Amino acid sequence: MRTKLPRVISRVGGAVLAGAVVALMAATPPAAQAVTDGVECETPTSASDTAESYVLTAKSGYVFTPDGNSIFMWGYAGSTGSFQLPGPTLCVTAGRTVSVTLKNTLPDPVSIVFPGQQQVTADGQADAANLAASPPTLAKPAARTSGTVTYTFVPDKPGTYLYESGTDQRKQVQMGLFGGLIVRPANYASGGADAHTAYGTAATRFGEGQEYLHILSEVDPAVHLAVEKNRVVNWAGYRPRYFMINGRSMPDTLAPNRASYLPAQPYSAFVHVQPFDPTANPDPAIIRYVNVGTVTYPFHPHGNSQRVVGRDGRPLQDGAADLSYDKFLVNVGPGQTVDTLFSWTDVDMFDPIDNSLAEFVPNQADVMTTGDTFYSQSPYLGSYADPIQGVTSYNVCGEYYHVAHSHALQQSTNYGAAMGGMMTLIRIDPPSALQTVDKPCN
Amino acid sequence: MSRDTSTNRSTSDEGTAVNDTPARRGVSRRSLLTGGLGMVGAGVVGATVLQPQLASAGLNDPRPADVAAAKAGLTDGRTLHLAATDGWVGMPTDAPARAPFFPDALAPSPFNTYVFGFRDVTHLHAADGSISDANQAKLDALKGHAQISAPLLDFDEMTRVRVSLTNLGLAIRPDLTDGHTVHWHGFDNAIPLFDGVPELSVAVPIGHTFTYYYQPRDAGTYMYHCHFEDVEHVQMGMTGMLFVRPKQNGTTKNHGGKTFSRFAYNDGDGSTGYHREFAFMLTELWSEAHYRDAHIQVNDWTDYAPSFWLLNGRAYPDTLADNGSLDAGSGDFAVPADERLRYQPISSLVEANKGDRVLLRLSNLGYQQHAMTLDGLPMRVVAKDAGLLRNGGTDLSFLTNTVEIGPGESRDVLVDTDTEGEFLLYDRNFSFLTNGGDSTQYGGQMTKVVVHPAGTLAPQSRANENPHA
Repeated sequence: MRTKLPRVISRVGGAVLAGAVVALMAATPPAAQAVTDGVECETPTSASDTAESYVLTAKSGYVFTPDGNSIFMWGYAGSTGSFQLPGPTLCVTAGRTVSVTLKNTLPDPVSIVFPGQQQVTADGQADAANLAASPPTLAKPAARTSGTVTYTFVPDKPGTYLYESGTDQRKQVQMGLFGGLIVRPANYASGGADAHTAYGTAATRFGEGQEYLHILSEVDPAVHLAVEKNRVVNWAGYRPRYFMINGRSMPDTLAPNRASYLPAQPYSAFVHVQPFDPTANPDPAIIRYVNVGTVTYPFHPHGNSQRVVGRDGRPLQDGAADLSYDKFLVNVGPGQTVDTLFSWTDVDMFDPIDNSLAEFVPNQADVMTTGDTFYSQSPYLGSYADPIQGVTSYNVCGEYYHVAHSHALQQSTNYGAAMGGMMTLIRIDPPSALQTVDKPCN
Repeated sequence: MSRDTSTNRSTSDEGTAVNDTPARRGVSRRSLLTGGLGMVGAGVVGATVLQPQLASAGLNDPRPADVAAAKAGLTDGRTLHLAATDGWVGMPTDAPARAPFFPDALAPSPFNTYVFGFRDVTHLHAADGSISDANQAKLDALKGHAQISAPLLDFDEMTRVRVSLTNLGLAIRPDLTDGHTVHWHGFDNAIPLFDGVPELSVAVPIGHTFTYYYQPRDAGTYMYHCHFEDVEHVQMGMTGMLFVRPKQNGTTKNHGGKTFSRFAYNDGDGSTGYHREFAFMLTELWSEAHYRDAHIQVNDWTDYAPSFWLLNGRAYPDTLADNGSLDAGSGDFAVPADERLRYQPISSLVEANKGDRVLLRLSNLGYQQHAMTLDGLPMRVVAKDAGLLRNGGTDLSFLTNTVEIGPGESRDVLVDTDTEGEFLLYDRNFSFLTNGGDSTQYGGQMTKVVVHPAGTLAPQSRANENPHA
């Protein structure tokens, strides 16, 4: 009931958040170094100008939750061969033939469906549902334990999609058989008008290194225990207890991509942006939301509204008419994808030089700060003061942090403990000219 | 602990002050953005060339290019004082008992449910902002007298707004040293200090006051709530609505054959004009959680299973009862006809004159999806989440008879009351039209729209008011 962030952290020995912070402190501007957050595309096993291929292996493994639980999952492993949640993010190009070979090591037949893709073939044949099969399946499955099947399609529309098991879906998707599919516009890589756009339009352009994928999911650990122990699942008692972004719950969502202490949960959900600047940072960030759960998730980014520019792999545009709209809450239905753009704009320009907020800056003894805080102890972007004794600050250089989370607030918990679950942070750095030598942001 | 309600600073010199932010930078933000560091002209040229591109992507309104522009046009606005505490409210007494959770045996008669909530104590201040000893005593006496839904707040666009929050502590739970905060839900381009997330800025401890400062730039329908242990404090009742009124207010525009001087947004054409406005905070109330908070028990929030579905903190038929009023002598609410509703002062009854255009401001700080249906009068949704549904010349508003609204969302809805009569406004999820599972009669998120002959009602002086002439 009164679990504060520090307690969540202490349950995992401080390793998760401390690790995240160390990584944040080690990070340099996105262009200069390996990506530590944001979309990490799977490397195809082969690729040409007309086709690309991937191999996914369905296998079991365990994921960690911030309250110390370890949960048995099924997942699609990528080129590393290791179990992971979610499956590898496939970034393909419109117009090129995509082949995905599924190898199954699980005790059930498993398949993949690609909602939104058309004329998908399985082993060269038109793929079709077989609801008379046991278990029923929407796509040709790879036989249990050792089967293989290859799906092929030509994505024709850029956008954000998901892939997931098409077999015994209530069980298999809950168990973790899902991943993200990003279809790039045809000339995305060529540096032309398509470059860094979601849909090949100027209105869907985003900044380099400013691309995020949030795969939203839920876990009822009782289902996973039953599958692990080969017991009957009590679906009538289905009650999710964990809520995730990219297979992680807060505060694990903050850890960088491929954090060593989350070996099976490789994808960060941390969002790290620079403030809008007409010259230095004119392009927004994009967040591609994907819901692989069973209910609509009401996702609320603090700090600024986001512009909904795409839905289910379609731009919100009708000819010349712009149908996009601003939202401070992004509602994502089951199976849906939503693309949003946002820039954080320093509209008020509160300035430490004229200290216009002096009357509002509290004496630290007169306010409560959590034992671990992301607050800089200053209202001004780029300013920093040491916290009082006993408070650990994760603030690096006077940057701002805003939270982004499900507003069905029981989903922003880890098995009921607040400040967890489907939640992450958005970090906003001071503009580089306002960063100081003694407190650099990198 | 000293209580200073006028400033965030302590009256003592104890502790570590952080107001001495040193000028560690080689250049001020002002000089940077107006041409320092060799960027002469860049801000200006960039602003004129690139910001329209941003605006065309719909990301933001054109934003100021420098500090002077950022401050231009701001005028002094309202200064409010809120208090946060706990208290008791009354759900409908004919709802089935569910021992031991409802009614709560700890509750003093005629109440039955433990809550946390806000109170607006601005009226206890003198015009100069000071507060007398007598009124300070009245403020202190409000500990244990929270209200649900929280006070309706409204501010004017481009004004300097100060909202002080005093944490009075919890009368029933002296063991619980929870802080409180104000999170303005949906405020664009917020800075963390005023965003109310304890882990990312500060919370207000018991006995202290902190002032939030806002310069609202975007008209619309928003919400506010406490973000301290949010799943608990929001469910316990610390939720309210907040509007930013557009600069266009006070101008006169004609739209659809009607004349307006009040508007939901800066629409330019009067298309969001209205004559009367009604705000609806949709929440659910889970009796078990409220009982456990009162009885020092731990709650598993993933078991969430609400018992009551509320409009402005009340379940039907309580939704139809009058607004509460203040008693100047005590500083607390006057005792209404039904004393049980003393701390649920916001009515959801909609009354209008024939021919009026009525603005319904809907918001949801429950954890479930809702769908409000109005039988007999079409609704036009003109905004979602404080965003006008229009892009340049493209009108994205739409007519409907059911408005869906998810947790944390808001809608602005216009209704032309051109037909006299009574119309029901209710949640189309019929399982939310019950009080505590009672299937024998309607309850929950339901109210009425009553359209009177022209001239029956006087103009409103505030939202949710029904002034009979």
